[in-house]
Amino acid sequence: MTHRLTRQSLLQVIGAGLLLGSGTAPVGAAAALRIGMVPDAGATQVSIDEKAPLRDYLTMKIGKPVELVIPTNYNATVEALGNGSLDFAYLGGLTYVKAHQAYGVIPLVQRASDRQFHCLFITQTNSSIQKLTDLRGKKFAFGDVASTSGHLMPDYALRNAGVDPDKDLTVRYTGNHPATAKAVESGAVDAGAIDESVYKSLIDGGQIDKTKVRVFYTTPPFVDYVWVARKDMAKADQDSLSNAFLSLKEPSDDKILSILRGTSFVRADDAEYATLRSVATQLKLL
Amino acid sequence: MNFFPPDLSAHYLTYLFVPVAQTIGMACAGMLLAFLFGTPLAIIVATRAPGARAISAVLAALRAIPDLTLAILAVVLLGLGPAAGIAALWIFYTAMIGKVFAELLLAAPSAPIDALRATGAPRAALAAFGMIPMMFADLLTFGMYSFECAMRAAIIVGAVGGGGLGTELVGTINALDYHRAATLIIVLVACIAAVDVFGMFVRRHPQAALVLIPLGVITLWIDRPQLFAVGHAVTTFAAMLPPQLNPQELAALPNLLWQTAEIAIFGTALGAVIGFLIALVAARGIVPLAIVIVTRRVLDTLRAIPEIIWGLILVVSVGVGPLAGIFALGLHSGGVLGKLYSEAFENVDRSPVASIMATGAPMPATVAFAIVPLALGPIAVNTLFRLEWNARAAAVVGMIGAGGLGQALFLAQQLFFYKTMAAYVAITWLIVLIFDTLGDRIRGRSITAMT
Repeated sequence: MTHRLTRQSLLQVIGAGLLLGSGTAPVGAAAALRIGMVPDAGATQVSIDEKAPLRDYLTMKIGKPVELVIPTNYNATVEALGNGSLDFAYLGGLTYVKAHQAYGVIPLVQRASDRQFHCLFITQTNSSIQKLTDLRGKKFAFGDVASTSGHLMPDYALRNAGVDPDKDLTVRYTGNHPATAKAVESGAVDAGAIDESVYKSLIDGGQIDKTKVRVFYTTPPFVDYVWVARKDMAKADQDSLSNAFLSLKEPSDDKILSILRGTSFVRADDAEYATLRSVATQLKLL
Repeated sequence: MNFFPPDLSAHYLTYLFVPVAQTIGMACAGMLLAFLFGTPLAIIVATRAPGARAISAVLAALRAIPDLTLAILAVVLLGLGPAAGIAALWIFYTAMIGKVFAELLLAAPSAPIDALRATGAPRAALAAFGMIPMMFADLLTFGMYSFECAMRAAIIVGAVGGGGLGTELVGTINALDYHRAATLIIVLVACIAAVDVFGMFVRRHPQAALVLIPLGVITLWIDRPQLFAVGHAVTTFAAMLPPQLNPQELAALPNLLWQTAEIAIFGTALGAVIGFLIALVAARGIVPLAIVIVTRRVLDTLRAIPEIIWGLILVVSVGVGPLAGIFALGLHSGGVLGKLYSEAFENVDRSPVASIMATGAPMPATVAFAIVPLALGPIAVNTLFRLEWNARAAAVVGMIGAGGLGQALFLAQQLFFYKTMAAYVAITWLIVLIFDTLGDRIRGRSITAMT
């Protein structure tokens, strides 16, 4: 009897706590829009700081305060859309497909280049690797396991060339694109697969020594990154975010476009991802 | 990968205010909840109230889930940010406090308790007026010790998305920003040192610990929307059941287990070698005090940086793979074992040492033939205990790319294969539980043998 009472009262206390917690939660959350970006190139206070012009631009265009959030990994970004702690997010292709399947996120816009995106295979300048089949028996770096240009599409390209990453390669997941570049540059791996836009910005910014690495293969084009809204986001907010991106023009908005590593934006829709979806299913990543 | 010089600009240091505050807040909030939940559970267990045995079993089971594994689960269930970190610390330390407080309360002198019981006092009164006042000093000591551990844990849960310093460190390393990573490591070691100093202060002035309560409450208030996102957490949790592995994953399992074992065993061995070498020059009586002071700080630094943070630093230099895991465990264990070994050297019976020295033996010979052989007992016990701890650490350190179970778990999480992830969580849990039980048995036996 006492036993049951204890358990019952414990549940009551927890229940009361939950009610109190949700009941007193203010509507303050609606005041600022929380926008997340997958950490394809690292997530720090500083990288958020570097994106301050983007945040200010979006705040101005949408007319509501905007907060940029860069979670440490791809999964956390999607779960945050699922539980409502993010309103919008910038996702990779594979992450989008998964988030759409799990939480019905809505695709909004993407860079024109995302429609024709490429993954680059890189190696050391003086290595003997010239083509995909030369990779057999070598140490190879993918980026994040959930990355489209860092894992899904290069995996697919390798298989199409007759190289089975599970059997023919010693595979490492570095977690993100800059880490892949660094692993190749330092010789920790023989070769790696990297997002073309991140690679370009690493070389341009001098973070990777261009005399030490070279590109030896470029994949056929595929659809990649996209900006999405969580499924119950107000239509008006979705439209204002889309319009903010669609109205970005060169050269007046160059500062913001360079943060986004793009030149112009187009509308995105779910149908574009049909091929990617079937590739992901085929590779058992979905 | 040049870590020097660290970025100490005012600009960056002001940025770090938020992550530091988040980390401290996370530790305070997690511990506040752990005390609120753990203390009543401990009282139930200590007064042998109905359900005590079941609670005891649940606490033991929870304790066997590594804090980082809990943090991953919390990130999946609650989303990113400090709320996930708080939840992980809450569960882990509720289990810890529930168990240790119960043991401390049971250790209270029995005569006064029996006298109280004879007056017909209910169980709560036995605890409130008997056990707790009598054991207050010990409860406080352990409470403070667990807060120090929680502070370290608050840093590492950040590494998987829990917010604060850990998240910032992963971010800077991923962004190849090593100067700032170096700054963060300095800040992190300073935070841990500050908590140590605060802990010593609290032991003399217990009321000082009360300042942590408002910090915890404020953090909980800020993170309340996520902490109460129960609906999402429940659906996601349901998606993890039942845990399962496909035939391919099952076939790969022995290899994963071997990698984890490899990290644990070689990591401990490396730690023992590093610890032993440093301990020789960190023990009073072997080398002059001035050297001891310097080498002790080296050991403190090795120890202050948790395995997973060493791992993050090391993947940059030695690359991903079990080697990074072995070095990560080796360096942290080196710090821990070095301290314990040097104390063992200092604690040896002085008379045999003195008689060897009286023969005119030089110091190296005295160390080799008197001090080390005399300290072998405690060295063996501590090394075995470390191996047990490292079995747990190896299972999580894989997450940073070192391979084994940790990495498999992390990859499954990243791909949203939650049933697979749950299976790896269950396997990790079983392994830790087995090692804990074996360790307890072996220690129990060796203590019996000694007495």
